[in-house]
Amino acid sequence: MKIYLLVGVLLIAGATIGAQVQAPGASPENGPGLGPMVAGTDFSGSWRPQQLVTESQTAAGDLADFGGIPLNDAARVYALSWPASRQTVRQHQCMGYVTPYFWYAPANYRIWEERDPFTQRLVSWRFYGQIAQGDRTVYMDGRPHPPAYAPHTFAGFSTGEYQGNTLTVTTTHLKRGWIKANGVPQSDATTVVEHFVRHGDNITVLAVIDDPVYLTEPLSKASLLVRMAKDPDAWLYPCDDSEQIFGRKSDVVPNHLFGQNPYAREYADRRKQPLLAALGGAETMYPELANAIRDTTAAENLAKARMMPSGPPGVSRAPDPTPRDGEIHTMRVSGDVYLLAGDGANIAVQVGPQGAFVVDTGSGKLADKVIAAIAKLSAKPIQFILNTTFRPDHTGGNAKLQMAGADPSVTGSFFSMQFQGAGVGATIISQLNTQSRMVEQKLPAPPSDTFAEDRRRKYYNGEAVEAFPMPNATTDGDSIVHFRRADVIVAGDIFTTTEYPHIDTKNGGSLQGEINALNFILDRTVYIHDEDGGTMIIPGHGRVTDEWEVAEYRDMLVIIRDRVQAMIKAGATLQQTLASRPTFDYDVRYGATSGPWTTNMFVEAVYTSLKNPPKTENAR
Amino acid sequence: MTGYWVSVVGEDWRWRAFPVRGDYGAVPLNQAARQIADTWDPAKDVAAGEACKAFAAPSVMRIPGRLHITWQDDQTLKIETDSGKQTRLFYFANLPENKGEDFQGASKAEWDLGNAGAGGLFFGRGGAAAGPSGSLKVVTNRMKAGYATRNGVPFSNNATLTEYFDLVKEKSGVEYLILTSTLEDPTYMSQPMWTATHFKKQSDATNFTPVSCDGK
Repeated sequence: MKIYLLVGVLLIAGATIGAQVQAPGASPENGPGLGPMVAGTDFSGSWRPQQLVTESQTAAGDLADFGGIPLNDAARVYALSWPASRQTVRQHQCMGYVTPYFWYAPANYRIWEERDPFTQRLVSWRFYGQIAQGDRTVYMDGRPHPPAYAPHTFAGFSTGEYQGNTLTVTTTHLKRGWIKANGVPQSDATTVVEHFVRHGDNITVLAVIDDPVYLTEPLSKASLLVRMAKDPDAWLYPCDDSEQIFGRKSDVVPNHLFGQNPYAREYADRRKQPLLAALGGAETMYPELANAIRDTTAAENLAKARMMPSGPPGVSRAPDPTPRDGEIHTMRVSGDVYLLAGDGANIAVQVGPQGAFVVDTGSGKLADKVIAAIAKLSAKPIQFILNTTFRPDHTGGNAKLQMAGADPSVTGSFFSMQFQGAGVGATIISQLNTQSRMVEQKLPAPPSDTFAEDRRRKYYNGEAVEAFPMPNATTDGDSIVHFRRADVIVAGDIFTTTEYPHIDTKNGGSLQGEINALNFILDRTVYIHDEDGGTMIIPGHGRVTDEWEVAEYRDMLVIIRDRVQAMIKAGATLQQTLASRPTFDYDVRYGATSGPWTTNMFVEAVYTSLKNPPKTENAR
Repeated sequence: MTGYWVSVVGEDWRWRAFPVRGDYGAVPLNQAARQIADTWDPAKDVAAGEACKAFAAPSVMRIPGRLHITWQDDQTLKIETDSGKQTRLFYFANLPENKGEDFQGASKAEWDLGNAGAGGLFFGRGGAAAGPSGSLKVVTNRMKAGYATRNGVPFSNNATLTEYFDLVKEKSGVEYLILTSTLEDPTYMSQPMWTATHFKKQSDATNFTPVSCDGK
């Protein structure tokens, strides 16, 4: 009896000590930490959402019901331009669920823990949702979040910690998703903190969405899960997109022009609710909402004003993921293809037994460090360099990288006599017009090996590599590169995650050519599941993505095109078009009022290229 | 928990801020309750001196407003609402014999430490105040029949309300009070009515403006 008592005391003491001692944390030297020694509340089991609380927060959401959401003016206009028919667009059909939207699906959830088999420390909590097969991992072992230039997913990257009986989960690296699937966006700059509390057969989740792009203050929302005593059968959600409307071109993206959403007040009228409240905003979260609508005439007028662009020009509120610490940051993207970030435009490198194939060379300011970074990936020399454009932030490192490399296939052969510099160092390849621009503008180390209207292909390092010219996109010399085994597409400036496309009309760029180029990329991409993963995209600037972000970018350009086109059709001048703010809802994500590429410069390029399109913009 | 809190209305704004007769959504009503809800007339309630039916314990925490939470004494936690000017008393010691039979009923409170994990316990008022480790559990019954939602969904005097209060704090310093409640009413509901509601901590009494049930 005494022995049992002693053991019990020791167990309690051990648990108490365990509760107070923190496990070793993560460090670059030691790898991930061991995780907490004592877990908190057990959340494992099968769960379903409780419909009373989520009645207004289900996957659908009524059209133009944005109440209770502290969305900013840009987000409201974004949502009002969204028609339900957007979901007929291929890339929207299998869109995944971001958190906390994840918890509002009318379906089953499974929660379980994963423990290290050798230490039994808690490695992660796993959340699985039936709809869209959402699969979340919440790391409990102290590992850091990935760098800003890493890909985002619909699940995001989550880490957790216990605070008493509460599990607090922080999620970053989310894709652009829905706060509500009636068009209210949640941006890819969002951080979500979720607090999980369990009481018997209920889990209450309080989620706090901090979105600097689309919200004026964090949105907090509570939801409830109810435990299911029996594990249900329904867990899968296969989704393959398909043609929904035969004959529709890929540059059609359904949208409502400003002020022309026929359903904008349907919800308010049908439900006998004030329109101002239905249109959302921070004041609709709090008791003071009742005061805001007391003067019904003023409230109605204010609501109408809020449906249109207004206020000062917006600038991007999303952090630039580009590292600017004077170092080159290397990240494996897929297969043998790597991203080198930190010196102007992104650099892609494929390595293997034959050597290194480099796409773009950055600004050249850190060229020595770029060469050193490549040398860490490959003991073989740089054999090929491909420039996706002539711009100096993509070609500035050409000279140094070329001289650091070697192309044994040219050295000493008759090819070396065809162009000045050929056969010396690595061979530089590009679309013909890129070479011409570099020569015209006396930029150093122009390409010696060119292609014009058709693809350039190589089988290199055991992998098919294709370069495709993209006529009249941001310039008349753009190209993209597809590493087919790794399934990585290097998009150059045709696609960035940081700004509007730099459409250079003086050098042959056009909006429609840019849209065509993005659709060309989308014709080559395949996702693994629900718009996540699969073909990876290295943009000219910004973070690595997959097809979802390319589709979003394409959608944005088509919508802006439609707005500007409507202005042109109505006889608007450039100044009138600028004053109409055709990019209003996207400026908070991509806009700039200063620097080398402002919103106004972009709108001017759109207007100019729509009025006077280059003859070859639809050449592909 | 003590201090001032403001309700975060969120996407349920339609039901919580501007309730309309017959719009009871997914509340698990039976037929008898539906008949009552469909004939809800707030003017009649005011005329009958029963304007506070919609500010009863099951509904008052969902009505947009502010709370002031204090300790009335070492064993009694008090919640005052500005919406409807209601007072709820949570008794950690034995319930007073005469408590109940009004819209706020009789509320027995206890600290629920069953899920406490790492973080330690803090001892104080109410026997053992939970600090960051546990929850406040409150069971309320002996309520006078009233409305479970602001738009006339009835609950009977047989109803039992079970509530859990949890505190969380953001890294930004913002504190939230999460309320998970279950209303069970064999008279009017076919299954429990669950809600999850939350409040944000206020630094002071700003905008705490008590208004009686009839809006005066």
